[in-house]
Amino acid sequence: MGLGVYQSLFDVFLLNCGFAFSQFIVLRAGVFSIASAAYAGIGGYATAILVTRYGVSAPVAVAAATALGLIVAGVLSIPLARLRGVYQAIATLAFVEIVVSLGFYAEDLTGGAMGINGIPKLVGTGTLCVALGAVLYLMVAIDRSGLGRAFDTVRQDETVAGSLGISVQRSHAIAFIISGGIGGLFGGLQSLYVYSIEPQQFGFALLVSMLASIVLGGRGTVIGPIIGTAILTALPELARPLAENRPLIHGLLLIVIINYLPHGVADSLALLRRRRRAANAV
Amino acid sequence: MEWPILWRSCAVDAAPPMPSETLTLRHVTKRFGGVTAVSDVSFDIPPGRITGLIGPNGAGKSTLVNMIAGVLTLSEGDIRLGSRLLSQAPAFEVARSGIARTFQNIRLLAEASVLDNVLVGFHRLERASLASHLLGLPASWRETRDLRARARDLLNRFGMQRYAEYPAGGLSYGHQRRVEMMRALATQPRLLMLDEPVAGMNDVEAAELGDIFASLARDGMAVLLIEHNVPFVMRLCAEINVLDTGRLIASGPPGTVMRDPAVIAAYLGTG
Repeated sequence: MGLGVYQSLFDVFLLNCGFAFSQFIVLRAGVFSIASAAYAGIGGYATAILVTRYGVSAPVAVAAATALGLIVAGVLSIPLARLRGVYQAIATLAFVEIVVSLGFYAEDLTGGAMGINGIPKLVGTGTLCVALGAVLYLMVAIDRSGLGRAFDTVRQDETVAGSLGISVQRSHAIAFIISGGIGGLFGGLQSLYVYSIEPQQFGFALLVSMLASIVLGGRGTVIGPIIGTAILTALPELARPLAENRPLIHGLLLIVIINYLPHGVADSLALLRRRRRAANAV
Repeated sequence: MEWPILWRSCAVDAAPPMPSETLTLRHVTKRFGGVTAVSDVSFDIPPGRITGLIGPNGAGKSTLVNMIAGVLTLSEGDIRLGSRLLSQAPAFEVARSGIARTFQNIRLLAEASVLDNVLVGFHRLERASLASHLLGLPASWRETRDLRARARDLLNRFGMQRYAEYPAGGLSYGHQRRVEMMRALATQPRLLMLDEPVAGMNDVEAAELGDIFASLARDGMAVLLIEHNVPFVMRLCAEINVLDTGRLIASGPPGTVMRDPAVIAAYLGTG
């Protein structure tokens, strides 16, 4: 019995990592978008509908979900280009709500509140590992490139970014579109993993857990979201009696971390290491 | 695609930065509602020398710099670099055309290391495509490796190599100013605008930086120096422009300008 439980927990961890990276990449570029839950919903529904209703094969359906995430995010990035900070958050929250209500009210397409059931389970640990590996590669590639440097600059100071020839709008749009692609991809994979989907699973709770994993782990390093997700996935399981109160645990953890490690676990460690190395060097 | 790109980035290193061009301001005016912050200002910032811009607090110096940098839009007038009109260009396009600046209140990426702060300055010279960044292709990582080496060279030139890995936010004031300057120079600008670069420094530190500015100008860069330290400006600038309440009240060589009664009245006070 034991191993199976851990494997499914690991699968959940892999899926949540994917979602966390969708959230991570926008925050890294200084876009306060919380639309990742919506991309997951779009990708999830697209995949479920294509597979159950049209008999499309799993890889094609997931590819379509990814493409749809990219396209929707690309379109959404246009009206959002002028917004900043909390206004971006509110606008993208509205978008999440729109996607959830579409799930409820477009019954012919989405099955309404009942959702879509009987989705074949076509995705296992191996597929999830490959997908997450691809996303990780993308993240590391960006991290080490001029694009990553542009993202970091835009996040920390838009005026400086502009003074160095970095287009803030372009950087934001690129981050936004990548976020959409990753959200769509993992939404699609999740559909083919969980047998059934319903609208509310792409709502506020998912959004909060995505954000929480970045705040916990850190948004400046690629390892951050993985650490954050690992903590958030493992902790409720370790404290079994509290598993029902996951949101409560999220909330408490966030308050503690924001107070004591404002940069998140990974970023705080990286900062500490850099300070120490610098202190030795000087 | 890759080879010409590499070749080009090496070539930039060896040759002077770019063909020099004069920045011309004509009838530049900025109004904020009913307040005219800068009114009908015209002067040139030619390559190969340091042009000074002085004036009392609130005279409109920073407003003017922000208009040149594309941070503020002009109410009237125009700004050109060579023949290229920049009046309506957004900040990042102005920067790409070869105009770099430092900020009156130092603006570094405090979380990042000194080296990384300088490294972002090279953005304007990056040639690797978006796809190669996303896919981690050799064009992207080679470029990063080359630029990192060039950033280290720049650190050496400013005597800052031992702070390379140090978080920029933790440096002393004078060192932070240097990091900002290195970042601006990394863009290989045609025009460098220095907004009070030696504020808060002692005379020795100021003189050291002054020598660097002078050598940049000698190499063909146009330099605009905004500064309160009058002896410093007098020593370095070939021409000084004096702003008072948004108007240009005097222009010319330091000796002439400093004897101008209007300048003495406005800038040094009537006593």
